[in-house]
Amino acid sequence: MLALLFILFSGLAIGCALAVVAQRNPLYSAISLVGVFISLACLYVMLAAPFIAAVQVIVYAGAIMVLVVFVIMLLNVEEEQRRRTRLRFLVPVAIVLSAILIAEVAFILVTVQEFRVSPTANTSGVGLTHSIGTQLFTRYLLPFEITSILLLMAIVGAMTLARRGGLLSPTARVIPGSQLFPRSLVDPNAAPDDLRAVETESSEEAARLLGITDFRKRE
Amino acid sequence: MEPQLSWYLALSAILFTIGVTGVIIKRNVIAMFMCIELMLNAVNLTFVAFASFFQDVTGQLFVFIVMTVAAAEAAVGLGIIIAIFRNRESLDVDDASILKL
Repeated sequence: MLALLFILFSGLAIGCALAVVAQRNPLYSAISLVGVFISLACLYVMLAAPFIAAVQVIVYAGAIMVLVVFVIMLLNVEEEQRRRTRLRFLVPVAIVLSAILIAEVAFILVTVQEFRVSPTANTSGVGLTHSIGTQLFTRYLLPFEITSILLLMAIVGAMTLARRGGLLSPTARVIPGSQLFPRSLVDPNAAPDDLRAVETESSEEAARLLGITDFRKRE
Repeated sequence: MEPQLSWYLALSAILFTIGVTGVIIKRNVIAMFMCIELMLNAVNLTFVAFASFFQDVTGQLFVFIVMTVAAAEAAVGLGIIIAIFRNRESLDVDDASILKL
């Protein structure tokens, strides 16, 4: 019965993980990743770790994935274009090397079966909230405090990075890629001593004014 | 038949490999980020499996700490992604290959 459940949830996890990699739209990848998290939470319940399973659903599937989906929606990400495969001769080499790797892993799995760890009955309460809390606030207090400092650093770093203007002072505002040209350089009909500036708001507009079409490729 | 420890380790290895493959073949920064989360989850599964089979709560505590690190990484990583997008108007890693904003 437990083996059937394991096969069900592990198949779900592997299928969703493959979908994460195979999808071209990042939003579909995010939804598939939520599927991976939920099936892993089910496996944690099977492993007698209900607290970790609940935290997995709340923190990963709840908080982190909501943040990722929010950023995907905010940036209006387009789908990836299909690219031409470079280094085509390496494809058979990759297949042979991965076959060797799979053979090695299968050999190790078959050999290690002799070393059997039998799952004992869960009598010590390992995995329940009480035991985790007791250990976390007595023996592992130092990692807990270091984690809180890490979270503080993450808050400060995220605010610094996401603020408009970046690391400059809050009043300075930089338009990336903006350029300033004298009118005589851009417009051939203008008088040579016409020094009024031509302003453009974006790199694309400046490229169009200057007649450059492939400025993205040159970067 | 009860699930053995090696089953969980094999599943974790498969998920980790899928994550590594995604980081290598994906070109979108957000998709690469999600593949890194997948790798972190594969390692978490190993921790929980060992903690359950050896009846030791330490593994589950480290899963807890890994989750906190993942949350911090999500906040800072998505901040970096927004900063890159604001400067380059693209999320393709090939457009941001010169280590300069």
